[in-house]
Amino acid sequence: MRLLLVEDDRNLNRQIATALADAGYAVDKAFDGEDGQHLGESEPYDAVILDLGLPGIDGVSMLTNWRRAGRKMPVLILTARDRWSDKVQGFDAGADDYLAKPFHMEELLARIRALLRRATGHATSELVAGTIRLDTRSGRVTVDGLPIKLTSHEYRLLSYLMHHAGRIVSRGELTEHLYDQDFDRDSNTIEVFVGRLRKKLGVDLIQTIRGLGYLIDRPGAAETAK
Amino acid sequence: MTLRPPRLLAGRSIAVRLAASSLFWSSLILLAAGVILSALYRQNTERAFDERLLVYANDLAADLVNASDPEQRELGSLGEPRFDIPLSGWYWQLGRLEARPRDVHSSRSLVGNAIPLLAPDTSERRFGQVRKDYASGPESRLLRVIERDIDLGEDGRYVVRVAGPGDEISGAQHRFLAALVATFLLVGAGLGLSTLFQIRFGLKPLSDLGVAVAAVRRGHAHRIDGHYPRDVAPLADELNLLLDANREILERARTQVGNLAHALKTPLSIIVNEAEGASDDVSGRVREQAALMRDQVDYYLNRARAAALAGTLGAVTDLRPVLDALARTFGKIYRDRDLTITVEAPDGLRFRGERQDLEEMAGNLIDNACKWAGETVAITASLEGDGPTLRIAVDDDGPGLSEDARRVAVERGRRLDETKPGSGLGLSIVSDLVANYHGRLDLSASALGGTRAELTLMGDAT
Repeated sequence: MRLLLVEDDRNLNRQIATALADAGYAVDKAFDGEDGQHLGESEPYDAVILDLGLPGIDGVSMLTNWRRAGRKMPVLILTARDRWSDKVQGFDAGADDYLAKPFHMEELLARIRALLRRATGHATSELVAGTIRLDTRSGRVTVDGLPIKLTSHEYRLLSYLMHHAGRIVSRGELTEHLYDQDFDRDSNTIEVFVGRLRKKLGVDLIQTIRGLGYLIDRPGAAETAK
Repeated sequence: MTLRPPRLLAGRSIAVRLAASSLFWSSLILLAAGVILSALYRQNTERAFDERLLVYANDLAADLVNASDPEQRELGSLGEPRFDIPLSGWYWQLGRLEARPRDVHSSRSLVGNAIPLLAPDTSERRFGQVRKDYASGPESRLLRVIERDIDLGEDGRYVVRVAGPGDEISGAQHRFLAALVATFLLVGAGLGLSTLFQIRFGLKPLSDLGVAVAAVRRGHAHRIDGHYPRDVAPLADELNLLLDANREILERARTQVGNLAHALKTPLSIIVNEAEGASDDVSGRVREQAALMRDQVDYYLNRARAAALAGTLGAVTDLRPVLDALARTFGKIYRDRDLTITVEAPDGLRFRGERQDLEEMAGNLIDNACKWAGETVAITASLEGDGPTLRIAVDDDGPGLSEDARRVAVERGRRLDETKPGSGLGLSIVSDLVANYHGRLDLSASALGGTRAELTLMGDAT
């Protein structure tokens, strides 16, 4: 999952970015309105954390511009402006959630997880595919109840595919959503990670659809088909 | 000439002052004109009357001179029958001076009475002179008397007196006065009416200005619009500048408060997050103190906003859009809970205050309701009485609060030291704001089963 973080305070930006990276997200950072506006318009983010008081373009205008341009990614507003009038304005501009400063990092992470889950249509924080369970809260993966150790890139790949279970995900889409801007993207690495995941989780979980991409079946879909 | 306005008029309206001064001067002028006219009329009437009497006196004098023997002369009735009617008020008398007993001839009407002499002292008489005056005649009736002395040399010196009833003059005078008073009353009424019209017409721009200012105060207008005459225009312009400045200062204060919030809360976030990583004593204290700082910042920010509010003039907010926006917002915030949030508010209802404050008050109440609600939150607004009073009620179907808990919830809002983050119902801000608007916040049991929070505020309707 790839996130955009727009926050002009460098210290806070670093703190949040670190916490998000630790939680297994690819994070792009923007420190002002122009940068944030541009990134949000051009890159396919799974969610955005947006500060309102920004130099350049303010957060609400930025959000309005994104929505007008048809960008639908979930947006969490993170701001010191905590009056209901600010919140109403934020939600009306198209925000999906609102968190007031000062905040607890755990709270922010929980809100982001909820946003991502909701955006991909999952009701619980635990994603299931066959015998494999992925707990988005703890970042733990189990097969038949046994914990499996994954590297952060493997986890990101699995998490993205499981969030979008039942849909074919192209290699390009994976590259875009798993790595942040500055990452040296080599599409071969995706294949390498898929190979490693199959080794750890079983060959059947991730199917390769030739010429299109990868697919994890939606749980229960197989039974329904029978 | 300037008149110091009497103390009586101090503080009265300009219209009253104008009316009073106009009444005073008009009355004075009319009175003076009346006195002068009446005096002139009296003079004229007397002169005409005297001339008539003089004609008779001259006739008598001519008869006297022409008669060969004044002693034996037969003097006529002068062609005026009233000289023959007893006590008619019309008399003549002809007498010889310096004769003892005087030879006296009188009109028949005198019936033995006499016309008093106007100049009884003979030494002061200048012959040929005519004297005229009022005198009391028979039956004490007032007479107008003309007296003329005639010197016939050897034939002696005579005095001729002719008198007419004085009430003929005063009667004419009275009739004239009555007509005069009636006319002047009419003129006065006309003047009064035209003054009233002038006052209304002349002061129209001022009363228009008053209406415009009231409209601004009630929030129906933001500025004083319309064209005003040159005398009033500077006042309207200055008022507009004042209103603009007021609004600008308020806006700036709000912005500064917002900036302050941002400036303080971002570093606070960093401190809290840095402390979260560690679990030692120091980080615990840092977290605790940071939470306290946040509360203090919130509290004083709200106070600053409230102070800015005190300067607001004529803010007014349409209720329906605000409540709809809040319902929309809470629908999003609590979308995982499947709450039904209904808004029931007649169109055109308005709150007399700032939109942000209304959102803050209603927002906190709806937030509480959503937190506790099972599946329904109902927001209803209504307008009552003259005033008028605006009621906004937020009902939920949650577990509700005990009577004690409700009382504590509202009370605690007044004190900072008891407002703990997260633990309260967020009512401290609401209580502060409600107090600033001289309104009320009441908690009661809801018909839906949970709690009803009701705001009573100053309302308005379009």
